[in-house]
Amino acid sequence: METDDDAALMLRVGRGDKAAFAALFDRHQRSVARFAFRFVGEEARAEELTQDIFIKLYRSAPGYRPSAQFKTFLFRVASNHCLNEVRRGEYRVQRIQEGPDDEAVEVAGPDAHQPDRAVEGRELEACVRQALGELSDRERLAFTLCRFEGMAYRDIAQALCASEAAVKSLIHRATLSVARKIEALHPGITPERSRA
Amino acid sequence: MSCSFEQDLTASLDQELPALEAARLAAHLPTCPDCRATEALLRTGLQAVATLPAFEPSSALRRALLAQVDALPTSLGARLRALLRPWVLVPVGGGLAAGLVVTLLVLQRPHAPELSPPAQLELAMNFDVVDNYEVLGIDSPEDLDVVEHLQELEKTP
Repeated sequence: METDDDAALMLRVGRGDKAAFAALFDRHQRSVARFAFRFVGEEARAEELTQDIFIKLYRSAPGYRPSAQFKTFLFRVASNHCLNEVRRGEYRVQRIQEGPDDEAVEVAGPDAHQPDRAVEGRELEACVRQALGELSDRERLAFTLCRFEGMAYRDIAQALCASEAAVKSLIHRATLSVARKIEALHPGITPERSRA
Repeated sequence: MSCSFEQDLTASLDQELPALEAARLAAHLPTCPDCRATEALLRTGLQAVATLPAFEPSSALRRALLAQVDALPTSLGARLRALLRPWVLVPVGGGLAAGLVVTLLVLQRPHAPELSPPAQLELAMNFDVVDNYEVLGIDSPEDLDVVEHLQELEKTP
């Protein structure tokens, strides 16, 4: 996927081209939905947020200037929207450990046909979701952009309007916190117990 | 936090550490059991996170979003741009030009004198007579009676 293509599409959206908007949506909806899902921890809310983020993108298109990578711009819009919605109280990030029947963790994975691994997968999903819920909003944003979108620290810094040093620190704290949760889920899987 | 190198561990696993700092960390790790343990913890955690399935949005999301975009009010700029299309400009411009020509023709046509109805003509003549009477200083009823019958008196031998 070429970034220039995305910027060109976005400029066309700014001129009222709805077909260009549909093309942009088709390219990026999975990334944005995945990001929103990891941020709020619920599928239905993630879809609502995704829809809101793309509407915001559509409305901002007339003033769009391709000064940064489109993906960075997109996730800046997405991050700001998620933060604002959470701060306004529109969404509450899941912070309570639900049981195995909770629908919010019913994300079909490749091991769905293997019951033991599927249970492990659901436990891991719930564990990570709980760990993400215990992070600060900015730690969760940085972690999600890094781990699930594969963005570089520099791009995350642009998306979050932060320094690279701050992003490095956010990602380290978040990763360490999530890793500790996972370690607690399956104790003894690491070669040495961490004292960090 | 047990070691000043700890923050570099995650950046190193993400291959985000500059070469010089990466070399310093590589030299430090064999001497620091805490950092080795933390690095192992981070590595295992990242491997587990990488196995999580990706969330897939429903197909209804696309339909709902595009319907919402269609329902959005069009911006002023877009409306103005829509008016600049040839298939809008040509008929509108032609109509305006035709209207202008008709207006100019009407304005240049000479004005015909307005014909007054008979009652208004009679009233105007009477006003003329009264004006004349005032100029002559005739205002008593007897004088007016004489003037009224003046033609008859002139015919009398």
